[in-house]
Amino acid sequence: MYRRSAPPPRPMNEITLPGTLDSLEPIRDYVAKNAADAGLDRSAVYKLCLAVDEIATNIVMHGYEESGLTGDIVVAAGKVENSFQIHLRDHGRAYDPDTHEQPPDTDLDLPLEDRRIGGLGILLARDSVDDLQYASGPDGNVHRFVVNLRQDAQ
Amino acid sequence: MPLDIKSSVEGTTGRLKLTGELDGASAPAVRTEVEQMLTHKLDNLVLLVENLNFMASAGLRIIIFAKQRQPQLKIYVVKPQESIIETLKKTGFYDAVYVQDSEPGEGAAAQ
Repeated sequence: MYRRSAPPPRPMNEITLPGTLDSLEPIRDYVAKNAADAGLDRSAVYKLCLAVDEIATNIVMHGYEESGLTGDIVVAAGKVENSFQIHLRDHGRAYDPDTHEQPPDTDLDLPLEDRRIGGLGILLARDSVDDLQYASGPDGNVHRFVVNLRQDAQ
Repeated sequence: MPLDIKSSVEGTTGRLKLTGELDGASAPAVRTEVEQMLTHKLDNLVLLVENLNFMASAGLRIIIFAKQRQPQLKIYVVKPQESIIETLKKTGFYDAVYVQDSEPGEGAAAQ
């Protein structure tokens, strides 16, 4: 019986940008183009861009600027098994989204003037993709944004 | 696409027209504009966002800022795109602002 071996994983393409707020728009543009090429619809592209933008903003503000550090953000994009993924890699101070509170559900009903300022970005990031993973180590910090692909988009 | 900001104050209504993308880079300029508008006591803050193609949480924080400065303020979000409506709903802002297809008072004037 003829067996086909599993195809090798497709390499992800990547760009490197300075870890500054000026890079937010080119990061979104890069994500949008790659996501659209991978078959994500407009809504999914927007949500992925939003998630990546929120985390990239945190990397710039908290990982680099407030920590007195400078560095780059590497953005990699590509299909991984049945998903499309964006990986953000940086060398700033570790900023694990899981350790930062997002507003509790009860907060969402509060009058605006009583709302907390913080946490909205992480709430939007988590809610806009199928999975958001974080790892930190000697090679830096990596955020992985995972969007599951429909069968016809694979 | 960089953000274009146009603002005006007429009586107790402030209007802020945003065209382009509102992110962490462009948010400070918007906040400065809103701060300037709020040197007047306003009843209404009208956000004209038909051509606002992207809004990060930084935009939501500006809305909170405006309400904390002037709690009596009614905030109108006019003709937001579907993606921004979704952001407003996910974060509990949709029911706290007035989302509509025309500026306040325009519908009444046309009748």
